[in-house]
Amino acid sequence: MIFFFLLLFLVLAAQIAELFIPALPWLYNAHVYIVPVIVFYGAMALPFPFMLALALYAGVLLDALTVQVIGGKVEISAGSSILMYGVLAGIMHGLRPLFARGHWEVHCILSGIFTSLIVLAQYLMITFRRGSVVFTREIWWQIGGPGIVAMLVAPIVFWSLQWIGRMTAYQYGPERGRFE
Amino acid sequence: MGMSRTNIIVLLIFGAILGYFLSFGPNTTQKFKAGVYQLLAPFLTSGSGLKKQITSVRTGLKSLDQLEHENAALQVENRELRATNQSLRDVEHEVNRLRHALNYRERSVFKLIAAEIVARDSSTWWRTVTINRGRRDGIETDMPVVTDEGLIGKTTSVSDVISVVLLVSDENCRVAASVEGSREQGIVSGQRVTTGLTPLMDLNFLSKQADLKPGQKVYTSGVGGVFPSGLLIGVVKSYRVRELDGQAQLTPAVDLSHLEDVFVVTGRR
Repeated sequence: MIFFFLLLFLVLAAQIAELFIPALPWLYNAHVYIVPVIVFYGAMALPFPFMLALALYAGVLLDALTVQVIGGKVEISAGSSILMYGVLAGIMHGLRPLFARGHWEVHCILSGIFTSLIVLAQYLMITFRRGSVVFTREIWWQIGGPGIVAMLVAPIVFWSLQWIGRMTAYQYGPERGRFE
Repeated sequence: MGMSRTNIIVLLIFGAILGYFLSFGPNTTQKFKAGVYQLLAPFLTSGSGLKKQITSVRTGLKSLDQLEHENAALQVENRELRATNQSLRDVEHEVNRLRHALNYRERSVFKLIAAEIVARDSSTWWRTVTINRGRRDGIETDMPVVTDEGLIGKTTSVSDVISVVLLVSDENCRVAASVEGSREQGIVSGQRVTTGLTPLMDLNFLSKQADLKPGQKVYTSGVGGVFPSGLLIGVVKSYRVRELDGQAQLTPAVDLSHLEDVFVVTGRR
């Protein structure tokens, strides 16, 4: 239980930290996103109900920070991030046995792909609202860049969270499917 | 293997909460956003202070690195002098910045509320900054935000103590504009994607005969009600004729990547 609350705290801290991390000019101004990596680790380490709670919490935070109401119109509906985190964390949750057998690389790669999927989904939603479909090389890099960064930081984040889990005596047991 | 009853119940609760959020209209969304920002305000303000301290330490470390290569006998004294010099330079920079801001406020024809940038946008598709002034200071939504160099943007979400400012370089921030030395009028909006370090803006709906020249200044025209007339938006970089109209590319008047102090325009004097 301590581990779950620690993850909630880390998601909040990472979400705030992201506001102070500048975009990477050498990667077409791609942004650095750490929160998805923490959520996806939580999706693997936590049982189903707690995984959904974490996805809900992270989604609410992301919605609050990204949803823009301009001229009485909402570009991305509140709740869209909750839905995205719920679905993607659910997929990650289904791959828990693989993670338990030590295949971290699959989840690191998936963390990157899923992070890019979140950015892509946001882009598709604003494109739909603004009414012009534009896909330039810069846009692809701004979608793919955060995924690449997430993929690179995922092993460090996963290792750190695994270590925190051990320190808090959290027992990772995907086969048993229960929270200890 | 099916789902356990607990999991199904949790999934239903998740779905219900999701449905609740998805049903939010613009007003509820605005309140929800302002509420979360209100809760995060202490973290954002302290995070901003921490960032400044880290930058200051990093600058100090650079000087120490340079000192290693200097004469060993003068190293200690040199280090002290450099440290003193650095801190004086910081103070001088701060004094100049504040003096500059104060001068602008005193000579401005607008009623201004001074604010400091506490956080930048973390999202890829919107260009916003967060300022340390809110409803308590008299800020409302859709108020223009400026510096002494020109227009920055307008407030969107306002909580009690902090507000979100949509930058003029965002595609959604549309400003009615007029061009210096001509009768041309158009709408300035940001570009969806920034390719270089400096974001550019488009001035659309110009006449095909506009033939704007690089360096011409573009000001707010006052049409639309949000932005008062006479605020410098940017400078023409290039002009091209399209099928139906003319379009100019503008460089923002203000360096939007290095904002520190801004002013919210609350009215005219």
